[in-house]
Amino acid sequence: MAGGERSDGRPKSTPQPAPDPEVTEPALQPVTTPVKPARRGTSQGVAPIRQLRLAGAVRRRRTRAEPVNPLREGLRLERMPDPSLMVLFGATGDLSHRKVIPALYELWRSNLLPHEFRLVAAARRPYEDVTFRAEMRASAEKHSRVQPFDDGVWSDFAARMSYERVDFESPADFDRLAVRLKEVDAEAGARGNMLFYLATQASAFPVIVAQLGRVGLDHETHDGGWRRVVIEKPFGHDVDSAIRLNREVGRVFRESQVFRIDHYLGKEIVRNLLVFRFGNGIFEPIWDRRYVDHVQITVAESLGVAQRGAFYEETGASRDVLQNHLLQLLTLVAMEPPAMLSAEALRDEKVKVLRAVAPMTRDEVTRNVVRGQYGPGWIGEEEVPGYRSEPEVDPESETETFVAARLEIDHWRWAGVPFYLRTGKRLAKRATEIAIHFKPVPHRLFVGSATDPEPNLLALRIQPDEGILLRFVAKVPGLGVDIRAVNMDFTYGSSFAVDSPDAYETLLLDALLGDGSLFTRADEVEEAWRIVTPIIDAWLDVPAPRFPDYEAGSWGPREADELIARDGRHWRRI
Amino acid sequence: MGTRMNQGGKAITAPDLASGAPSPPDSGRTARIRWTSRARSIADLERELARMWAVDAAPAGRSAGAVSAAGAVGFPDHEAHVQARTSVLSLVVVARSPETGQRAAATISRLSGRHPSRTIVLSPADPDGPRWVDAQLQAVCLVPDDGGHQTCTEVIYLTAGGDTGRHLDSLVSPLLIHDLPVATWWPEDVPFTARQTRDLIEMSDRFIVDGSTWSASGRDRLGHLADICGPRLAVCDFGLMRQSRWRESIASTFDMPGYLPYLRSVRRIAVTYGTHDETGDPEGTNIVKPVYQVAWLASRLGMRVVRPLRPAEPRTAQSTGAGLANSAGRPGPQQAQGGFDARLRLGQGDVDVVLRPRTSTMPGGTTLRVELLCVRRGSELRADVTAEAETVHVRVWQDGVEAMERRYHAPRRTDIDLLAETIERTGPDPVATETIRMAAALVASGNDHENPR
Repeated sequence: MAGGERSDGRPKSTPQPAPDPEVTEPALQPVTTPVKPARRGTSQGVAPIRQLRLAGAVRRRRTRAEPVNPLREGLRLERMPDPSLMVLFGATGDLSHRKVIPALYELWRSNLLPHEFRLVAAARRPYEDVTFRAEMRASAEKHSRVQPFDDGVWSDFAARMSYERVDFESPADFDRLAVRLKEVDAEAGARGNMLFYLATQASAFPVIVAQLGRVGLDHETHDGGWRRVVIEKPFGHDVDSAIRLNREVGRVFRESQVFRIDHYLGKEIVRNLLVFRFGNGIFEPIWDRRYVDHVQITVAESLGVAQRGAFYEETGASRDVLQNHLLQLLTLVAMEPPAMLSAEALRDEKVKVLRAVAPMTRDEVTRNVVRGQYGPGWIGEEEVPGYRSEPEVDPESETETFVAARLEIDHWRWAGVPFYLRTGKRLAKRATEIAIHFKPVPHRLFVGSATDPEPNLLALRIQPDEGILLRFVAKVPGLGVDIRAVNMDFTYGSSFAVDSPDAYETLLLDALLGDGSLFTRADEVEEAWRIVTPIIDAWLDVPAPRFPDYEAGSWGPREADELIARDGRHWRRI
Repeated sequence: MGTRMNQGGKAITAPDLASGAPSPPDSGRTARIRWTSRARSIADLERELARMWAVDAAPAGRSAGAVSAAGAVGFPDHEAHVQARTSVLSLVVVARSPETGQRAAATISRLSGRHPSRTIVLSPADPDGPRWVDAQLQAVCLVPDDGGHQTCTEVIYLTAGGDTGRHLDSLVSPLLIHDLPVATWWPEDVPFTARQTRDLIEMSDRFIVDGSTWSASGRDRLGHLADICGPRLAVCDFGLMRQSRWRESIASTFDMPGYLPYLRSVRRIAVTYGTHDETGDPEGTNIVKPVYQVAWLASRLGMRVVRPLRPAEPRTAQSTGAGLANSAGRPGPQQAQGGFDARLRLGQGDVDVVLRPRTSTMPGGTTLRVELLCVRRGSELRADVTAEAETVHVRVWQDGVEAMERRYHAPRRTDIDLLAETIERTGPDPVATETIRMAAALVASGNDHENPR
């Protein structure tokens, strides 16, 4: 978080004097053990994994204060990530090629990784270090945010990269990996710090985590070596599977060691949302049911499923976007101000929002949720096929590529304010934004005007051009009183010269620093599934409606418009 | 864009953006001049500024060459409209010589669009001639190649002849954007004691200088610079900012837990700097940058000055002066005469400071090497940092044994990068302030009465 406190993922070590048995009151001692702070903010409802790991968290509390380098003050990073190894599982996959490796290269290029950093790539396919590096170089060059590509920097970085062939099911391979990591660690001087990054198929997550546990790679060493695991989405495919996965991960790693990525949270404007809400005095007082009429959150993509047909068949828009990105944006818009900008305080507030969204009954799903699937159509000047004609997609697929939902947050601040969420593939354009629609003025004063004043609108654009727009009305110059809405538009790129870092750069750096603020916690994931699962379940019973039901290049099925029109509102034109 | 002669004074002109030479560093965006006009008085100029955003302006792609007509003439055209602007600050540049003015204008034109600001380039000319004002006004917009929002910057090139040029603050005040912070960039020698300087500083929130370009050794100005640092005025010195790659490299050496404790027992800091001066004249080379190297370390580590910087004894009497370099195994063959020494105190121990000149092809005053010697419980740690165009090279010896060698990829930064960074920041930078104050303490009074030659 901007200027926020970095928590190192472990309980802060305030050196406490050893309790003198003669002086302290024995009755109070057990109650005030460090158990309390460690528990603070964890959910009371679902707590299997936290109970499991609680004892460990207390036992591993570190007493030695981290020495501070006085020369770091005021530099770009007040704390450099510790020397560490990153083990990238699924290193030959699409995500590694497109995002992880280019982000690491960029971090390395800007001197934000420690000199002792090493990357051990692990995947099933056989590779020599040399061929692997060459392949990664091509990807990094293609996907790097900063051009031209710097070969000198790359060769420096590539020298820190090695490849291990690992069959995730094979215990022998993991035994070998453990030995190899120990060697690399010793040779690099990484002090036992390891970050395991699971960029694999979701089905491999529990397998890899269990293997890591079996060979003892989860154990943090006494001299301070940390172990962390980064897990990509999808995290489960419904409530049960998410709880199960959390439990399986929790058997091996403590919650503070687990970093679940939702890359939306690494985006600059998403982080700016907190600054905007809590750094400005004028918005928070009107950020509630008294002034806000409704909120619209849109994550629109113009792309189709491309080569991910098989994956998308299994997930659909609700699992791919609604459960994570859309609900995460919802929590950030709706949450109460956290007491401080620490990972736990922030996530406590976010999870409260999710808990306040009541799961829908079947009838409510029919009434409040719309699914759709795109047929053929035109995006700009390009003619595109329908979803059912995409590669790897069932020609009679009932997978939804669009979902719109009306949610309510049942608590003091938001009671009665609908939140309209929509996402879809092959929509008219790529755009992500949050729009806060304010209530109209209470009294119509300008009766002579041809138009009524439009209610105020605050739109937070996330992509493509990050920015903030405030709409208010003004008088049209002239003799009469004519009113027209005007926009005050702030474009992020226009006020700050620096390129925003890619979300993966932000998130990788945070994971290496041990700051979990921008990662989703176990209970958040479970709560999000608790909202989305009843929707998916309800659909299982009812055949998909007349799919495909929207043309590629449109704004989704007509039912989505009807969903919001029923309340006398309409989707904001983006 | 013609250069206009006026009563013996030369009006500073805007760089010709549309003819293609400077392209802004942003990729995927094209800089376009959206508006241009000229004014002969501040009142005219104010009117033009108001008009610029109200009237439809010259369309994208119109050659700026076509709009070089003199006089306050806008180019109404109904094809394009200058978008509402987002401004973040007013930037005032003082260019007392035409060369500096042109150079600053070129830097700013490369920057424009990265920062939506109103930039006023002030150029006093012909102080003894009659009074006149010539202002050239431009709106430069960055248009994204893929459509989308354009971002615009206003640039005013203002030349003031006669004694008008002595009242810079009066010229500038009406042109500032309400409420926005004011950054003043003074690229040349700053006459700190002059009244007009004080007035300009008074109305600024940020004062940007480049101490490494000051004339002579620059020592006397360091004291003045420290004096104006305060809670209300943030001071940025390019000379100090340029060294961030040194600082990051030195700091990351001490990220090693094994080396960190040595920081508490630094015993010697030696900085070698480039010079073109063979005579050893203490005022012959600007030493602001080497002084900053020492001052940063000293202020971060909590040292205090025992004996300020003074010109070193002539070479013969100081044969051990190059001790650190010699003990590191590399005597400096091109070692020049002159240099400075000082003494600091860290905890209970003294810290010897040596600034050593060396003939070099680099600009005078460029830091060539920083060496640190720490002695802790009988164990010695020596760090040696050198920098080239693209990399910083760090070597560490522990008890005479080479323990670490690293190269950091850290390219030298241009004025454009530095200006961009200063403008982006808001609020004072406490580390810079402390460094500048320490630098002032280091050079204090040493230059008045202790000149051996």
